[in-house]
Amino acid sequence: MKTERELELYFGPQHIGMVGNFSITLKVEGDRIIEASANPGYLHRGFEKLMEYRTWIQNFPMVCRINVIEPDSMEMVYAMAVEKLAKIEVPERANYIRTIVLELARLTSHLFGCWAYANMLGFDTVAQWAMYHRDLLLDLFEELTGARVYHIYIWPGGVRRDIPKGFKDRVLNTLHTIGSCIPDYDNTFFNNRLFYKRAKNIGKISKDEAKKLGATGQILRAAGIKYDIRKVEPYAVYDKVNFEIPTREDGDAYSRVWVIRDEMIQSVHIIMQCFEKMPQGEVYNRVPNPFKWKIPKGETYVRVESSRGELGLYLVSNGEDKPYRVHFRTPSYPHGLIILEKLLKNASIADVGNIMISLYVVAPEIDR
Amino acid sequence: MRKKQKVKGIKMEKLKDEIASIFKEIKVNIAQDTKLIISAKKEQVLNLLRFLKDKGYNHLALISCVDWIEEKEFELVYILGSYLEKGGKGHIILKTRIHRKKPKFKTIIPIFENAEPYEREIHELFGVDFEGHPRLTHLFLERDYKIPPFRKDFDTREYVKEVFEKIPFVEDKK
Repeated sequence: MKTERELELYFGPQHIGMVGNFSITLKVEGDRIIEASANPGYLHRGFEKLMEYRTWIQNFPMVCRINVIEPDSMEMVYAMAVEKLAKIEVPERANYIRTIVLELARLTSHLFGCWAYANMLGFDTVAQWAMYHRDLLLDLFEELTGARVYHIYIWPGGVRRDIPKGFKDRVLNTLHTIGSCIPDYDNTFFNNRLFYKRAKNIGKISKDEAKKLGATGQILRAAGIKYDIRKVEPYAVYDKVNFEIPTREDGDAYSRVWVIRDEMIQSVHIIMQCFEKMPQGEVYNRVPNPFKWKIPKGETYVRVESSRGELGLYLVSNGEDKPYRVHFRTPSYPHGLIILEKLLKNASIADVGNIMISLYVVAPEIDR
Repeated sequence: MRKKQKVKGIKMEKLKDEIASIFKEIKVNIAQDTKLIISAKKEQVLNLLRFLKDKGYNHLALISCVDWIEEKEFELVYILGSYLEKGGKGHIILKTRIHRKKPKFKTIIPIFENAEPYEREIHELFGVDFEGHPRLTHLFLERDYKIPPFRKDFDTREYVKEVFEKIPFVEDKK
């Protein structure tokens, strides 16, 4: 029933509280939201179709652009699928390096998430710290891969090159610099009364609802379900390192941000263990000439735990030099479309940005 | 490590036998690493999904569509995972084929609520109609296409030539 007081409100794609190019159409009465419908498509570049026109190797620069903030797990999932179809083995050392790169990428992504959330709540100091620390990690990536954002470092058959001399010390040094600031982060942000008041009971989702709506990642773990692809279906060397899956019970924005914080500490533990256990040897098994490389017929679904949840890839090969069908299962897809719509019901307009950023949605990942 | 894998294998095998005994004329394979690939007839899909959901595969990860143009068929692919902490590892790929001419299928929203955006996407990009879906509106695209753009007979380069090269330069307009 449409009453006279009902109003339609467009939130985004250009809005300060909006992450990336994404918009929500809200039906509001007063400042209560009656209905919300997500409206993606501003970044739809049709990557999956374009990839059908390019050879297996040519697709790498495109894959990493699907998730701007954390490109490494995109590369990883594509490389894993190609390896599985073409039956290529990966050297042990390369697997360790991959794990280190993936965890460093998770750190950069989580720090970026902290920046976004702190910035939205008005904690500008914390936001600047997080951005600065992310930049220190990007320096490491620049040294390792030659690029700051899109690395194209993980490759079918291994990684592009071995880690440079003294890289381990520099990584540990940087992690120490960031780690020594954790008390500061805690005092100013995570244990702050203002943060608690602003984030507690916002965007609450129950265990059953999270399961029903296909949630993964922080949303699921903040609701109390210990689910992590790194444990459920280990890839790279995640079955050889010890780490825990941080969970919370409440399922609100506050718990989600705390899960992100705890995960960062686990990532540091994983990186340290990898450096300790890493064997010597090759980092790259040669693949055939990439211009004539034909992959046998078949299909596969592989999944990794990206910084936002389950990232999957359904890849079909026709026996040609190009993929027949590529379909990414990105974690933001259910989070940003169906869960966001559900959580926004009966929320107030002032909380839209809060809920959206706490769901950790990346718009380019939805549109692809 | 080795012991663990053995346990997984048995579980999948059990499930495989169970499916084969309940559903007639069905192809079930176990692929490498704890993966079950099922090719079913389209009438069986809804029952199979309900069956698998009861068995613990309660996480619908993805619905995908593949255009097999030479065989004049679309292939709908349902990928199921499990939220269970113990057991139920691995995932299941359930495939079914439908006709390419006037493609139609039943929605699975009553079984898995999160199927809604996936079916909407397939409707937009492949032109498959899902009966009973509450809103089959545009998701990503802003205009209608003669051929849905992710079908194999839609040529991206031709489309660009047709549509965008007709638009005159701003300088020419003056």
